[in-house]
Amino acid sequence: MLALKNKATNSLLKSEKKSLLRFLVLYTAMVMLMIMLLSVFYYQGQEKLMLAQERATLSKYAYIQTKRLKVLHHFFDERTTYPRDPRFRSAIYDNEFVKIFSLAKEENIYFDKEIYIAGNMIHFIETLDNYYLGARYLVIEVDDDTGWRTEIWRRIFGYGSVIFIFFMLFGFYLAKLFLKPMRDSIVLLDRFIKDTTHELNAPLSAILANIEMMDMDVMAEKNKKRLARINIAAKTVSTLYQDLTYLTLEHERRNEDELVEIKPLLEDRVEYFNAWIQSKKLECLMDMEDVTIIIDKRKLTRVIDNLISNAIKYNQRGGTIGIELREGMLMIWDTGIGIEKEKIPLMFDRYMRFDESEGGFGIGLSIVKKILDEYHILIEVESEVKKGTRMILKW
Amino acid sequence: MVKKFLLMATLIMSGMFAEDAYERHCVPCHAPLPTSLQRMFMNHLLVYGGEHNFKAALKHYLRYPSKDISVMSDLFIDNFGIKEKSTLSDEELDEAIDIYWSKFKVFNKLK
Ligand code: HEC
Repeated sequence: MLALKNKATNSLLKSEKKSLLRFLVLYTAMVMLMIMLLSVFYYQGQEKLMLAQERATLSKYAYIQTKRLKVLHHFFDERTTYPRDPRFRSAIYDNEFVKIFSLAKEENIYFDKEIYIAGNMIHFIETLDNYYLGARYLVIEVDDDTGWRTEIWRRIFGYGSVIFIFFMLFGFYLAKLFLKPMRDSIVLLDRFIKDTTHELNAPLSAILANIEMMDMDVMAEKNKKRLARINIAAKTVSTLYQDLTYLTLEHERRNEDELVEIKPLLEDRVEYFNAWIQSKKLECLMDMEDVTIIIDKRKLTRVIDNLISNAIKYNQRGGTIGIELREGMLMIWDTGIGIEKEKIPLMFDRYMRFDESEGGFGIGLSIVKKILDEYHILIEVESEVKKGTRMILKW
Repeated sequence: MVKKFLLMATLIMSGMFAEDAYERHCVPCHAPLPTSLQRMFMNHLLVYGGEHNFKAALKHYLRYPSKDISVMSDLFIDNFGIKEKSTLSDEELDEAIDIYWSKFKVFNKLK
């Protein structure tokens, strides 16, 4: 069950990964925004609370200062010393907001507020009923001890990260939930293919064996052609069968790496597809050196089969297939329909097919890529629409 | 001789001050009153505050003095009565009030 699950996850397409990523980015952004908003509200709330506590003290100071101003007002001209207090700084402004006298550090006062924080100082504005010394506004200024602020930040970061982690976990759970139907159907499909594939083996072997055994000499020309067609069809199905087997069963098998001579293998596979090549009237150019590689032969066969059968399948009638083999390089090229540049990165995705008119599950190239990746073999694709494609393997 | 000189000096001095609208129109009538113009300024300031308000209110009061809106105490008014309506022209009144304001305003006097 676990293996099945892992496989299902692995078979997520790039596009699915992309939408998952998009969802997560969007979700993260929203969570962050929410936490930020909450923090702002919390901060403002705490600030208000702090100011409310502070207000009581400051209005007491304002009351005291007002009394002193009253006294000074009555003795004005004989006494001109503005009353000072070590606990706070104060300033007086007239009803036109003109400064009469100020001990405050801050010159910019917001008279529309009763109490506010600016530049690490708290300002309290008291409106006087009697304009002592002509003053309408009494400003009380004290330094804001920043302890409460640090405490709030500490709490915001603490709770914020807890909430963030919680929501991220929830997000992953959600994403999983969304993906579950998709995964389930993939798992189902995989299992279906696995079961079907298993059942295909016997009849397919029977067909191929019997075609081989047929006595061509006694056959009419017409029937020979028909047999050739049956042969091609059976081999196409066989390739597909091999791919499916590989996909569903083979990769659970351990690799049997050995020293493989590539040239004879290539010749053998071309020979295998010969009837098909003939039927499409393709010219086959082979330029090969003796090259060896350490690899699981069955896997290399899957790669070669898929590349050659693609080169045949997507070729035009009377076109050319080329195979070039050098030390560390194998190129298989064709003069077929080619593919658009933008689609090249996608072509190794499972179930991607470029020309709807051609058959095939499109699993071939995804298998090729998987195997090549396993052996750290690079694959380069050069293609021009309607001109042809070159598949170049380098190791 | 000395007395004569002093007299001359006071005359000249008062002549010079007479140039000032405030000295000319306000001080003479206020001089005998027991409450100084400084104190009256403070009383007025206490109610009317800033410069504009102060000046406008005072101008209005000088034109239309009344017991109801005076800033002086009842005791004071009972003893000395309400002042007479000013007959000065707008310009003279404004000038006198401006001088009065700048003479007694609190700005720059506090330490
Ligand atoms: C005719 C005499 C007279 C003249 C001239 C005069 N005052 Fe007065 N003033 C008084 C008396 C009397 C009071 C007190 C009674 C009152 O408030 O009406 C008074 C009151 C005031 C007050 C207190 C106002 C208030 O609301 O009670 C102010 C301020 C004042 N004078 C300023 C001035 C100025 C400035 C001038 C010059 C433009 C001036 N006065 C000219 C007689 C005078």
